[in-house]
Amino acid sequence: MRIGIVCPYSFDMPGGVQAHVRDLAEALISLDHHVSVLAPADDEDDLPPYVVAAGRAVPVPYNGSVARLSFGPLSFARVRRWLREGKFDVLHLHEPLAPSISLLACLAARGPVVATFHTATTRSRALAAAEGVLQPVLEKISGRIAVSALARRVQVEHLAGGAVEIPNGVSVARFAHASPLPGWPGDGGAIGFLGRFTEPRKGFGILLDAFTQLVASRPGLRLLVAGPGDADEALSKVAPEVRERIVLLGLVSDADKARMLRSVDVYVAPNTGGESFGIILTEAMAAGTAIAASDLDAFRRVLDDGRAGALFPNGDASALASTLAGLLDDPARRAELAGLAREAVAEFDWPVIAARVLEVYSAVVATTPAAVTAEDEPRTDWLPKALRDRLR
Amino acid sequence: MVGAGVAIVLVSMYITWLAGRIDRLHARVASAQSALDAQLVRRAAIAAQLAEAREEQIGARAAAVRSAAKAALHADPDQREAAENDLTRALDRLPLDADDPMVIEMAVASRRLGVARQVHNDAVRDTLGLRRRRLPRAFRLGHRHPLPTYFDIAEFTVATAPTGPDAPERTRPAVGEATPGPG
Repeated sequence: MRIGIVCPYSFDMPGGVQAHVRDLAEALISLDHHVSVLAPADDEDDLPPYVVAAGRAVPVPYNGSVARLSFGPLSFARVRRWLREGKFDVLHLHEPLAPSISLLACLAARGPVVATFHTATTRSRALAAAEGVLQPVLEKISGRIAVSALARRVQVEHLAGGAVEIPNGVSVARFAHASPLPGWPGDGGAIGFLGRFTEPRKGFGILLDAFTQLVASRPGLRLLVAGPGDADEALSKVAPEVRERIVLLGLVSDADKARMLRSVDVYVAPNTGGESFGIILTEAMAAGTAIAASDLDAFRRVLDDGRAGALFPNGDASALASTLAGLLDDPARRAELAGLAREAVAEFDWPVIAARVLEVYSAVVATTPAAVTAEDEPRTDWLPKALRDRLR
Repeated sequence: MVGAGVAIVLVSMYITWLAGRIDRLHARVASAQSALDAQLVRRAAIAAQLAEAREEQIGARAAAVRSAAKAALHADPDQREAAENDLTRALDRLPLDADDPMVIEMAVASRRLGVARQVHNDAVRDTLGLRRRRLPRAFRLGHRHPLPTYFDIAEFTVATAPTGPDAPERTRPAVGEATPGPG
C-alpha cells in the first residue's frame, strides 16, 4: 500500500505522538509498504528519509504545553501538493483536532482517511463548543483509532464518535537487546525509575520512602533514576547515606532508556494515578526486567491481569518495600516474571500493532474505493496574481 | 434589494454545500454497509468451517455453531442483528487451542468485523447527525435516501483454554480485544 501519514508536531522536539508516528512508519516500511510522513520541520537535514517537511513550525501553547505546529496558507499549499503527488491509497492523520497540518490535510483531502486520537484532552467544553465547526472536518474521517481507553472515551463522550482502540506500540527488539550500563546492576541489587520524578502522580515519593526502608538492611542496594526534573528539589529531604545510593541520569535518549531498563534488577512504577496506558511498563517488559507496579487498572491490564509483574497497593510505601525485598531476594521469581512479561508484551510489539493499523486501513479503503487526492482547488481568479502564485 | 439578493445567494450556496455533504455521507454509508456485510458473511463462513473441522474438540457446541452460522447467512435484513448475535454467543469461549491456525483465522475475522462495524456505525452517526439538523430537514435534503440505522451486535473476545492439564488458563483474549458496545 501507499500510505500517507501526517504528524501535527515537529520532529525537532521529542514527544509521544512524534515517536509513535516514527515507529509506525518504520514498522509499516519493514512490512514492505510505501510510506511518506508529512511533518512540520525547520531543519530538513535531520529528518529520516521517509519524512517530507511541511514548512516552519511555530511554537504555540496547546493542550497544556507548547507544541510546534504548522498552520497557515503556505502550510496548506504544501499539504495539498503532498496529497496530489503522493497518490496514496490511504491517508492517516494523527491528532486531527490540533491546529496544525493534520487538520489542514483533513480539510484538503478527498478519499480514504484514518485518524488516530492520542490525547484525552480535558478541555471538554472547548471541544464541545467546537463540535459544530469541526463536524465537516470530522466527516471526512472514515476510521478512527484511539491509543487508549481514555482517549477513546473522549471520542465517545465529546465528539459523538467511536474509535477502534489500538495501543501505542513498543519496539521489543530495541529494548530486549540493549546492554546494561557499565557497573550495573552491581552486586548489591538495583532498582530503576523512569519519569517526571517531581510530579506527585508519578509516585517517586513513595519509591523514595520504600527505598529508604530497604537501604537500612541492604548495604549495596542502589537506585537508578532517569527523567526530567530538578534533582535537588526531589531529594532535599533524603538522608545523606541514602542520597549517595541514588544515581540520577536526567533526561535520557531512547537508546539510553533501553540501556537503563536493562541495568536494574527491578523496575518500579509507583504511579498513583493519571495513567491511561502503561507505556513505560511495556518498555520495561520488553527489556526483560522484573516489574513492581502499583495496582492501577491500566497497569493490571497491561501486565496480563497482574500476572506478569508484582503489583502492590497504590500509595503504600511499606507494601512496596516488602514487595521489592521479596523480588530482590528471589532471582528465580524475577526471571519468571520477566519471562511472563516478555510473552505479554508480544501483542504490543510494533509489527503486531502495525498489522492492526493496516486492518483499519483495509476496512476504510473498502469503504471509500478511490485513491487519496486533494479536493479541487477553490477558485482563486479573484485573488491578486502574486498571492495566487504563492498558494499554488 | 441588493442585500436580500446577496443573502439569497449565500443561503443557497450554503444549502448546496450541505446537500453535497449529505450525498457524500450517504455514499460513505452505502460502501460501509456492503463492507460490513462482507465481513459478516466471512465470519459466518469461517465459523461453519471451524465447527466442521474441529467438531471433536468442540463437542456438543459444534451443532450450535453450525446452525447459528447458517441462520446468520440466510437471515432476513430485519433478523440479521439477532442472528449475528446468536452466532457471537455460539462462538464465545470455545474450548480450543489459541495457537490453532483456524482459531487465529476466526479471531482475525472477528476483529476485522469489529473494525467494519465501527466504520459503519461512524458513517451512520455522521449521516444521522447532519440529516437531523434543522436546515437539512426543512429543505428535505437527502430525502431520496432512507435514514441509515446502526448495526449493533455484541463483540466477543477470543478467550480459549489451551490444551494440556498443566497449562494455566488464559482469561485475556489471545488476539486483541474487540471494542464493546455501539462505540
